[in-house]
Amino acid sequence: MSSESSKKRKPKVIRSDGAPAEGKRNRSDTEQAIEIEERRIQSCVHFMTLKKLNRLAHIRLKKGRDQTHEAKQKVDAYHLQLQNLLYEVMHLQKEITKCLEFKSKHEEIDLVSLEEFYKEAPPDISKAEVTMGDPHQQTLARLDWELEQRKRLAEKYRECLSNKEKILKEIEVKKEYLSSLQPRLNSIMQASLPVQEYLFMPFDQAHKQYETARHLPPPLYVLFVQATAYGQACDKTLSVAIEGSVDEAKALFKPPEDSQDDESDSDAEEEQTTKRRRPTLGVQLDDKRKEMLKRHPLSVMLDLKCKDDSVLHLTFFYLMNLNIMTVKAKVTTATELITPISAGDLLSPDSVLSCLYPGDHGKKTPNPANQYQFDKVGILTLSDYVLELGHPYLWVQKLGGLHFPKEQPQQTVIADHSLSASHMETTMKLLKTRVQSRLALHKQFASLEHGIVPVTSDCQYLFPAKVVSRLVKWVTVAHEDYMELHFTKDIVDAGLAGDTNLYYMALIERGTAKLQAAVVLNPGYSSIPPIFQLCLNWKGEKTNSNDDNIRAMESEVNVCYKELCGPWPSHQLLTNQLQRLCVLLDVYLETESHDDSVEGPKEFPQEKMCLRLFRGPSRMKPFKYNHPQGFFSHR
Amino acid sequence: MERALPLVVPLGQAEVFQALQRLHMTIFSQSVSPCGKFLAAGNNYGQIAIFSLSAALSSEAKEESKKPVVTFQAHDGPVYSMVSTDRHLLSAGDGEVKAWLWAEMLKKGCKELWCRQPPYRTSLEVPEINALLLVPKENSLILAGGDCQLHTMDLETGTFTRVLRGHTDYIHCLALRERSPEVLSGGEDGAVRLWDLRTAKEVQTIEVYKHEECSRPHNGRWIGCLATDSDWMVCGGGPALTLWHLRSSTPTTVFPMRAPQKHVTFYQDLILSAGQGRCVNQWQLSGELKAQVPGSSPGLLSLSLNQQPAAPECKVLTAAGNSCRVDVFTNLGYRAFSLSF
Repeated sequence: MSSESSKKRKPKVIRSDGAPAEGKRNRSDTEQAIEIEERRIQSCVHFMTLKKLNRLAHIRLKKGRDQTHEAKQKVDAYHLQLQNLLYEVMHLQKEITKCLEFKSKHEEIDLVSLEEFYKEAPPDISKAEVTMGDPHQQTLARLDWELEQRKRLAEKYRECLSNKEKILKEIEVKKEYLSSLQPRLNSIMQASLPVQEYLFMPFDQAHKQYETARHLPPPLYVLFVQATAYGQACDKTLSVAIEGSVDEAKALFKPPEDSQDDESDSDAEEEQTTKRRRPTLGVQLDDKRKEMLKRHPLSVMLDLKCKDDSVLHLTFFYLMNLNIMTVKAKVTTATELITPISAGDLLSPDSVLSCLYPGDHGKKTPNPANQYQFDKVGILTLSDYVLELGHPYLWVQKLGGLHFPKEQPQQTVIADHSLSASHMETTMKLLKTRVQSRLALHKQFASLEHGIVPVTSDCQYLFPAKVVSRLVKWVTVAHEDYMELHFTKDIVDAGLAGDTNLYYMALIERGTAKLQAAVVLNPGYSSIPPIFQLCLNWKGEKTNSNDDNIRAMESEVNVCYKELCGPWPSHQLLTNQLQRLCVLLDVYLETESHDDSVEGPKEFPQEKMCLRLFRGPSRMKPFKYNHPQGFFSHR
Repeated sequence: MERALPLVVPLGQAEVFQALQRLHMTIFSQSVSPCGKFLAAGNNYGQIAIFSLSAALSSEAKEESKKPVVTFQAHDGPVYSMVSTDRHLLSAGDGEVKAWLWAEMLKKGCKELWCRQPPYRTSLEVPEINALLLVPKENSLILAGGDCQLHTMDLETGTFTRVLRGHTDYIHCLALRERSPEVLSGGEDGAVRLWDLRTAKEVQTIEVYKHEECSRPHNGRWIGCLATDSDWMVCGGGPALTLWHLRSSTPTTVFPMRAPQKHVTFYQDLILSAGQGRCVNQWQLSGELKAQVPGSSPGLLSLSLNQQPAAPECKVLTAAGNSCRVDVFTNLGYRAFSLSF
C-alpha cells in the first residue's frame, strides 16, 4: 500500500510542481475538465492497475503462503513420521531389553544337574544327540524330565496322604478302644484289692506310695527308697509309709519371684512397723523363726516291729531351710505298759533314741551352715525346738544321704544314696536292740521298784543260792544331784557322767548295813555297761577312797561286767549287776574280821564258804563266786 | 561350790571299758632299773608298765613322756611284788615268779626269761606271792606270800633251797637285816618273825598286837609293812606304826598315824611311810611328823626311792597305790608330777 500511497503521492507531487495553483484556472476550465476527465480516466485506470497490482500482490502472497504452508505441512508430516518411528524404535528397544531380561519361570526351577539328568532320564526324553548341541533343546528336555518326575512324585504324595489318613483313622479307633478299657481296668484293680491283701502283696498300696514319693524332698526320698529296699530285701518287720499332704508339697513349688516380692514387701512393712511400735519386732522375729524352721509337709514313717510285738514308730521330717532331717520316735507295745516311776525316761520319745551312736545326742544341728542362719533370726540353739521338730541325730542325716563334713568348706549338701545304704542295716539293728533293751529295762524297773531283783533262770548260776542282802529302794536321780554326790567324783572326773546318761540310786540293806549305789545308765545300754559307785554306811562311812574292798566291789560290777551279761542280747546285765552287789555286800559283811575289843557276837555270822578271808597286800575279801562248787575265792 | 565340768567325750564301748579299767586300777609294786633311768610298775590286771624317768624328768618333758614306754601283760593275776637285780627284773604275783631282762623289756613283745613256782603245799588255790627279797650275799631270792612260808630260791640254779615255816597266816612283807643275815617277815597273824638264813630257823618273834602301845584292835592285827636298819625295825599295818629296838624287842616310838600304813622305809634320817590316805608321811625318828605330802591316789601301796648311783638326775621318790598313777616327788616336800598307766 505504500507503493500505492507513494504512487498517489507522486502524482500529487507532480501536480503540485507542474501546476501553479490559482493563476491558471481560468485557462481553461474545459481543458481542465478534459484533463480532469483524462486524469480521472487515468486515475481510474491507475486505480484499476493498482487494484490489479494489489490483487496480484495478494495472489502472489497467497501463493507464497500456500507454498509455504504445503512445505510446512510436509515437513510436519515427516517430522511426525520421524517421531513415530523414533517412538517405535524406542518401544521396540524397550521390548527387546524386556525380552532379553525376561526370566523365564523355568529358570527358577532347580533342575537336576546335567550329569544326573543324562544319567537318569530315559533316552526318549533326554535325546542326547539333539540336546547336547542345542542348549534350547537341552533345557526343554530337562524341563520335560522335571515335569515327569514331578508328576510321579505328586502321585506318590497323594498316595501317602491317603495312607496317612487311613492310619490316623485306625489310631482314633484304637484310642477309643483303650480309653474304654481304662475304667474297666480300674474296676478290676479295685476288685483285686481284697485279693492283694489276702496274699500280702500290696502292689496297689506300693504304687500309690511311689506316686506320693515323687513329691518328697531329696533326703526323704533317699530314706524312703533305701528303707523300702532294705525292708524288702533283709527285714520283713520294717514297714515304710509316707504321711502328709501331697497338695501342700506341690504348692511349695511356686515361682520364686512371688516369694521374693513377698520378702521385699514384708521388709518394707517391717520397717514401717518398727517405726510405729516396738513389740511387733518380736512377733516379726518369731514369724521369721517359724519360717526358718518350717518342715516339709510330707514325712516318712518307719515302723520297726520287734519280736515281742512292740513297735517303734519313727517319723522323719525334713526342715527345708536348714537342709537337715529330724526324727520323732514313739514306742508302742502289744500290751499296755504300766510305767514304774523310775522308768519315766526310758521310753520317752525325747530320749529313747539318744546316743544311738556314741555321742549322737541330737540336740545340736549337724549342719554347720545353720549357725549363720540361726544368728540372723536369733535362734540360740536347735535344742529349744527339738520337742516339736524332732531330733536331728547324725544317723538320721546319714540315712537321708546327707553328709556334713566338718573340715571341708560347705558346698550345697545333696542327698546321697550310697551313704544311706551303707548305714541302713547297722542303724536298723541298733534301733531294734535299743527298743528291746529299753523295754527289758522297763520291765526290770517295775520289779526293782518293788524290791525284787529279777534274775532269770539262765543267770542263776552266777550267784549263790542264798542271798540275804535285799534291794530296798530304786529311784531316779537327777544329773546334777549325781554330780553333787561325794562318792561319784571319780566317774565325773573321768568324763563318764554326761548329761545324756540316766542316773539312778539303789539302796541295798542287810541288818544295820546300808549300801548306796549310784548308777550311771548310758543310753547305749547294754553294750555299754552301767557304772556303779558305792557308799557303805556300816560302822562308819566307807567309799572307794577309804576302803579298798569297796573299790574291789565296784571293780567286780564295773570292770568284770562281761561275766554278768548273760545270754545275748544281754538285757540281764543291770539286774545281774544288782544281784552281784547284794552278794558282794553279803560277803563283805560276813568276812569282816571280828574286833576283839568289842563285846558281843558278830552281827553277820559267816555263812559263805570261803577258802581264805584275806589275800594280797590290800587284804582283799573273796568276792569271786565259783560255780558250781559254790565257794568264794579271790580273783 | 562350782566345779568345772570335765569335757565329756563321746565314748564307745571300748573307750568306756578302758576308762573303767583305769579307774579301778591298783598299782601294787614298783621297781627301778639298774641304770636308774626306768621305773617298772605292776598293777592288779597283771600288767607291767615301764616308764622312762629320765624322759619324764628332763626339761622337754611332754605329756607323752608321762605315759609308759611299753606296757605288757606279765602275769595272769596281779603283780604284787617286784625287785630288780643288776640285770633282771623279777616280778611275782599269782603264785609264780618271772624274770625279765631289763635290756629286752623296752622292746615290744618281750618274753620272760624264766618262770618258777615254789613248791606249795596245797593245790586247791594257788597262793599269791606278796613279797620278794634279794639276798645279794647268797645270790638268792626269798619269796613269801599266801602259803605262810618263806621260800628261798637260788638265782643261779633256780632251785628252791629252803622253806621257812612258822607263820600261821599269810605273809605280807619281808625285810633283810644285813649284818647278821637275817630275814624279817611280817604277816597277817600279827607277828614279825626273824629268821636266820644259815640255820634256817626262826630266831625271834615279836607279836606286835600284844603290845598295848601300838595295838589297834579295830584295825586288826596284821603287819602290812616292815623296814629294818639292822638294830632298829619299823613296822605298821593294823597296829600303829612303831619303831622297835630289835635286840630288846621293845617298841620305842609309836608314830601317831591313825590310818594303817602299807609301806614304810628308812631314808637318811627319816622314816617315810604311806598307806591309807593320800599322803606320804615323813617322820622323825623321835616320832614327830615332819611333813605330810599329798599324792594323787586315795591310798598308797608302795614307795620307791631311786638311789641308783648311775643316774643321779633321776633321784626321785615314786609312790603308787589305788589308782593308775605313779606320783613322782623330786623333792620330798611336794609332788612334782604323776606318771600314768
